[in-house]
Amino acid sequence: MTTGLAESRMVAAAVGVETSWEPPMRPTGEAVAALLAAGIAMLTLAFVHQVTAASEAVGAWVHALGTLWMPGAQGIGPYSGEETLTLVAWLVSWAILHVLLRTRELPLSRWLVVFLLMVAVATTFIWPPVFQHLAGH
Amino acid sequence: MRSVLYEPYEMREASTRSLVSVVVLMIGSALGFTLMTAPFTKLLGADAGAVASAFHALAAFLYLFVGTIGLYLGWRLLTGRISAFADLQLLAVVMATLSFLAIVFGNWLYVFYRAEDAGSPRSYFMANAPEIHTIFFEFKTLGALFTLPLAVVAAFILWRYGSQVMQRPWLRYTVAVVIGLSFFYLVVAFGLGMAVTRLKPA
Repeated sequence: MTTGLAESRMVAAAVGVETSWEPPMRPTGEAVAALLAAGIAMLTLAFVHQVTAASEAVGAWVHALGTLWMPGAQGIGPYSGEETLTLVAWLVSWAILHVLLRTRELPLSRWLVVFLLMVAVATTFIWPPVFQHLAGH
Repeated sequence: MRSVLYEPYEMREASTRSLVSVVVLMIGSALGFTLMTAPFTKLLGADAGAVASAFHALAAFLYLFVGTIGLYLGWRLLTGRISAFADLQLLAVVMATLSFLAIVFGNWLYVFYRAEDAGSPRSYFMANAPEIHTIFFEFKTLGALFTLPLAVVAAFILWRYGSQVMQRPWLRYTVAVVIGLSFFYLVVAFGLGMAVTRLKPA
């Protein structure tokens, strides 16, 4: 016994009618959310590294954060905490942005430019002469 | 019975199992030959972080290898002339995985790099050429972390949107740009890492 749909397809195939089904276009919001979350992660790393370089107290706190879970964090130093905060900022912001934007159709060209600006700012602030100058070293 | 006259070429693609078998056989035979004929124990060096360094470098080198192919396919995607879209999807996942592994092994190696003793690379650089640590090494360790979210974004878009990526120009451009950026930070980290290792291995 065949279902109505299967029967229709068999008939369509017999007379040469195209029955392929295209899924609807997925909104660009999910791609924008992923892009922005990656940008936020990079900016977080740059910011945390900046404040870690500027303040020993913050550096100690950031280091302590890394030692909570990362193997070998004691030997890695504050870098372990910087990685931790970057990871948290990335995943949390991605989850939030994904939920907020997933059904929205957003202009990807515009958000790509925003993302590139985020990357450029983050890169500038991880360049040691810049963050060392700002940290007063 | 089909005639070979009408099928001069093998039309079926090699199965993944056969491909993996060939790769394992080639790598296994190369390793076996090396182990049997060379002083393998001296290959990694006597430094404290030799094993961590080997794993980190292996992951980074493989990432560079795969990333180069990914960059080419990303460029093909940008121009809209990609015929190996499924390969790019797979490569993006491999790139993200290798980025993660390179970071994990890099963390392990970092312990030896910044050890307190006077013989560690960090101590050596701070005593002899502090800018090697304060500029090049710092930038390398931070820039290397950028590769992971970038590679993951590329893989996510390629898998989430599937073939729609090829139909929508700005999705193509976005993936290509993200792959290009991840390759840029990979090359920066790889080049500086190699230079630092040449100057003072961990």
